[in-house]
Amino acid sequence: MSVGLLVVGAPRSAGADVETLLSQLPAQLPAPVVIVLHRGPHDVLAAPLARRCALPVVEPDDKEDLVPGRVYLAPWGYHLLVDRGCVALSVESPEHGCRPAIDALFESAADSYGAAAAGLLFSGHDDGQEGLSFLRGRGGRVAVVMGESDGGEGQEGEVERLSLSEVGGWLTRLAYVPRGRVQP
Amino acid sequence: MSAGASVAALEALEADLLLEGVARHWGFDLRSHSRPQLLRRLRRHLREERLESFSALQARVLHDGEALEGLLRALSSTPPGLFSDAAFFRDFRTRVVPVLRTWPSVRVWHAGCGTGEDTYALAILLHEEGLWSRCRLYASDASEGLLADARTGVLPLPGEDDARRHAESGGRGSLSDSYTRDGNWALLHPRLRDGIFFTQHNLTIDGSFNEFHVIVCRDTLLSFNRALHNRVHSRLYESLARFGFLCLGRKESVARTPHVAAYEELEGSGRMFRRVS
Repeated sequence: MSVGLLVVGAPRSAGADVETLLSQLPAQLPAPVVIVLHRGPHDVLAAPLARRCALPVVEPDDKEDLVPGRVYLAPWGYHLLVDRGCVALSVESPEHGCRPAIDALFESAADSYGAAAAGLLFSGHDDGQEGLSFLRGRGGRVAVVMGESDGGEGQEGEVERLSLSEVGGWLTRLAYVPRGRVQP
Repeated sequence: MSAGASVAALEALEADLLLEGVARHWGFDLRSHSRPQLLRRLRRHLREERLESFSALQARVLHDGEALEGLLRALSSTPPGLFSDAAFFRDFRTRVVPVLRTWPSVRVWHAGCGTGEDTYALAILLHEEGLWSRCRLYASDASEGLLADARTGVLPLPGEDDARRHAESGGRGSLSDSYTRDGNWALLHPRLRDGIFFTQHNLTIDGSFNEFHVIVCRDTLLSFNRALHNRVHSRLYESLARFGFLCLGRKESVARTPHVAAYEELEGSGRMFRRVS
């Protein structure tokens, strides 16, 4: 089964890592990429993140189409949800003190795309963990990207843990190899 | 079918039945709301009500009008304070108010007013700009419960943040001139409160009820799916006078609606559109 959507969540501290991730995305990615990076009202993110990325990076308006090969960055002040092929912004209250919140994006990806969604969470914040396990429960492929200080790789519980340098390989497997893990 | 997929399918079925029940019994059609947002809010509402499933919520909501109001409240979003988006009110002052000054009378509709924070802010702004005596400000929401709150003219006492945002919005004088303090609450000045016409109006089913020179509908349509969003835009278009202003949320647009050609965006403003045809 091929991936229809890649969702990425990252705390503020992982901003540089997200830039690295974006630089590794293939130019012919067959799925839209949707990112929540924790941010404040005055952070300018789209242009800096697009510098090393082969794909266009946009902060979408509400109800905009999700097009494969584009990167959608959550604007400040709104949760970014995905609704079967289109963006749905939301002004529900902040979660974990954050709006945009990672949990909100991951939960909506699980609802809209189920097993066709893949989720990547950069560690370092409580926000995103619940959403990641919800997405995993709905059959989505997920992994946590550990920071340098977080120690070892491998499996933590059931969730795959990656170092930043392994993310490229994970993305490649995501795009080309059929799913191996059998659901219990 | 995998375990995850069958759980999801059952939950989706229960959600459909709940929405169907609410629509048929109470006339509130939530079936065209943005699905992921609706599911998230319903799940949160379940947790807060300590219920196990959407089926349990359905049983409660069908038999209890107060439970329905609770549900509608859970599905609504109201900004947390006055002038919560200072940039919008600043742009409104600099781009819209000068035009309104040239008109003998102005009808303003705030669609989706919730508990009224932005409506009060709008009233304060229009009063400060000397337009209040020739404005009629209509504010509507689908939920009677929220409207009842809005009609009181009472809100949590504005703090320093509210005062700062009021100043950023170009506010003249002090925000505290617009209310009287009662403990931790603020009572909006009666000359403002009594000039606002709060009315129950459901954007999803009710038709146009007047012609307006300004329609403010900010972040209200975010909770609708695309088809309903476009239908409601038709209603807003029908309700807006030629050369009238449509004010949307910071990340909303008329670009994907059937009426895109009828509007011109005011350049450099936070999503204000003028109907030109």
